[in-house]
Amino acid sequence: MKTLILGEVVEGKLSSGALEIIAKSQDLGLDFEVATVGTEESPNIGSESFKNTYLKCNETQLSLGSVANTLKTMVDKQSISLIMAPSTYVGRDLVAFLSVDFSSSQVSNVINFSIEGGNVITSNSINGGESEYNSKITSDKKFLLIRPKSFEEVQVELSNTNYETIEINSEDPEVFDIFIEEKSGPQLEDSKIVISAGRGMVDSSNLSLVEDLASKLNAAIGGTRAIVDAGWMPYSQQVGQTGKTVKPDVYIALGISGATQHQVGMKDSKYIIAINKDEEAPIFQIADLGLVADTLSIVPKITENL
Amino acid sequence: MKIAVCAKQIPDPALDITYSEGLVSRPDEQVLDDTDRYGIEVALQLKEKFDAEVTVISMGKMGTEKGIQQALQMGPDKALVLEDDSLSGSNSLMTANVLSELSKKVGADITIFGTESTDGYSGVIPQQVSRMLGLPCISYIKAVEISDTVSLTRQTSTGSEKVQMPSNCVLSVTAGGVEPRYPNFKDIMAAKSKPVEKISLSDIEFSAVQNIEFIDIKDVSTTKQGEKIVDEGEGFQVIIDKLKELKAI
Repeated sequence: MKTLILGEVVEGKLSSGALEIIAKSQDLGLDFEVATVGTEESPNIGSESFKNTYLKCNETQLSLGSVANTLKTMVDKQSISLIMAPSTYVGRDLVAFLSVDFSSSQVSNVINFSIEGGNVITSNSINGGESEYNSKITSDKKFLLIRPKSFEEVQVELSNTNYETIEINSEDPEVFDIFIEEKSGPQLEDSKIVISAGRGMVDSSNLSLVEDLASKLNAAIGGTRAIVDAGWMPYSQQVGQTGKTVKPDVYIALGISGATQHQVGMKDSKYIIAINKDEEAPIFQIADLGLVADTLSIVPKITENL
Repeated sequence: MKIAVCAKQIPDPALDITYSEGLVSRPDEQVLDDTDRYGIEVALQLKEKFDAEVTVISMGKMGTEKGIQQALQMGPDKALVLEDDSLSGSNSLMTANVLSELSKKVGADITIFGTESTDGYSGVIPQQVSRMLGLPCISYIKAVEISDTVSLTRQTSTGSEKVQMPSNCVLSVTAGGVEPRYPNFKDIMAAKSKPVEKISLSDIEFSAVQNIEFIDIKDVSTTKQGEKIVDEGEGFQVIIDKLKELKAI
């Protein structure tokens, strides 16, 4: 099955989400190539083991509509039938645009897929990961948005050669200000320890307790949808179904009840520690170590005694 | 300026989502998806500045229309909704097809969405609608500054970027992007007399087809034999010892 994997340039190299889908595609023996979107000059996205086309955009324009036009031509010319992207901001925009162009709805939030007799079978995680929803795509073109961390990344040497570059010229809306978030400290996606906060922290001012503990443990900080919606933390720190998926060695849930929406984003962590004063909180059902305690008073005690 | 803002009625999110034949079970009384409150707030801020007319658009099982009322209570002028049994279990593209047609019926210059619904979370509807309408999509908006022009800040994977709102476009607004207003008693009463126009599938151009076939739902739950202890003063030490054992410190 001719396959196209959409990737992005992140910090000068091919995004981990794309490397994960490449690994799975190699396992399945798919005839695939890659198209990577970015704005940087000569990023490290090339490899001898797959074909890659770099769609280079102007960073002062919102050009994903035009990128999709170029991709549409690629899909048409090369009779590609399976198109996959990691479920990121860019991946979602591109797959959405292409699904309209080819009148074939995508399947979102895919955690696994297989090819059976020319059909693509997809699995989604529902009910907080307790059930798997399986479906079959019946259209000629098949679009999948894959949840990051569903597969292990492929191990390849990436270089700034071995790919072709196409400059994207667009008349799309102009970007007049770009803000690069300074990444200080460990990042959610690749930190070995993640500490997340929920409503049980009571007030946003109490997040300083979480920060103190995180800095002692060199941990990244995340939050539930409830506290992100309440404006305590930016959307980029949300862990869960509609946020990020994390799989750290140790996940510490502070004052988190454990709604299914949250569990999907963290249940595959290697070791889960949960602290909550509600003995019946669902988070305890998936925790390796649960402590029924007043979160607000116990967190500083842990920090002080570390 | 005319604005269409999408509102989805969903089962009460405090309850677990249940499925029947692969479809989310929808009771008669559904509520407004909180995600949509952010888009509605942006629509209302634009209305206040530019004297825009705001129409709530929605599709799906209408039932008691509680969620539509909740949307109208925030301040939009009216609603245009479409219900058709044949749309039950629609894929994203079928949904986007209906919503883009509703946007056209409204004559919207700007069509506004949340980023993803709480029950379906496909996360692509705003982008699909923009492509169908042939308009630019400004997705994942996390801040809005309104003066004589409108500046939109988008969330990106590395930070954010600002764009000026085009005069015709589709927006998606992230949760937390703006502070949704709470209706007061007067707003709640006023919403009851706002027009809710209902149209059917035959009133729009609809061509999207179902291409996703439900196979099954498998139980993959694993029960963890975790340890649960109740703090009696030394709980912090248990955590510290465990972190040491895990070599986290």
